[in-house]
Amino acid sequence: MKKPSLWLATLAAVLVVAACQNQRAPAEQAVAAAEASLTSIRDAATHYAPDQLQAVDAQLSTVKDSLSKGDYKGVLAAMPSLNTAIGNLRDTATAKQQEADAANAKAKDAWGPMSTDVPKMVDALQSRVDILSKSHHLPKGVTKDSLAAAKTAVDSMKSAWSDASNAATAGDFATAVSKGQAIRDQASQTMHSLGMTSG
Amino acid sequence: MADDNNPAADNPYTQTHVVQSGDTLSKIAQKYYGDASLYTKIFQANRDVLNDPNKIKPGQKLRIP
Repeated sequence: MKKPSLWLATLAAVLVVAACQNQRAPAEQAVAAAEASLTSIRDAATHYAPDQLQAVDAQLSTVKDSLSKGDYKGVLAAMPSLNTAIGNLRDTATAKQQEADAANAKAKDAWGPMSTDVPKMVDALQSRVDILSKSHHLPKGVTKDSLAAAKTAVDSMKSAWSDASNAATAGDFATAVSKGQAIRDQASQTMHSLGMTSG
Repeated sequence: MADDNNPAADNPYTQTHVVQSGDTLSKIAQKYYGDASLYTKIFQANRDVLNDPNKIKPGQKLRIP
């Protein structure tokens, strides 16, 4: 009676091991596929959905840990959730990238006129500052302090414009326009302080 | 950017002044620069419409660089 029982137990153990080995290849393939899928969106996800990427990376890490421990059943059980998370990450990153691309395209349109407009404002200011610097008396409404502030502002605008132009050259029109608008605002304010309103 | 010889010429942000009766370039320079002797700056910026700094006409629109 003991011999058949032992034989059956051995058979059962062999079957269990065989079943586990049968799950090994699918588990390894599933993890490899998930990793490849994640790699294909990693750059976009890093840029547009870093927190979500971190969570998916943690999920993948747990699955790989199960794989290394031979828990193929656990790996296969966890794969649907992981694949869903990767899919969601892909959707988020793609949507945010499209949003950013659209914003950048809009900024590129705004940069066109701004790139010729703002330098002219700065040129007009520089010209006035240069002339007022040669004046023996300042006009009504302009003080030595406001002229000094205008000189500083013009230098600052030139430096900031260089940054804005560099951003545009690099294709980052959103940054370029943001900086350009700040310079435009500062130029308007400085023109006002020097009484540069036509009349 | 602007014309090197006359930067104010094609710059829409250059201030302008419409000549009134009794205006002279010196008076205009005094108003905008606080110094009448700087009238030549205005004359140079408007050489396309002025031939003589002493001859300006009411209604003329002058650039004030």
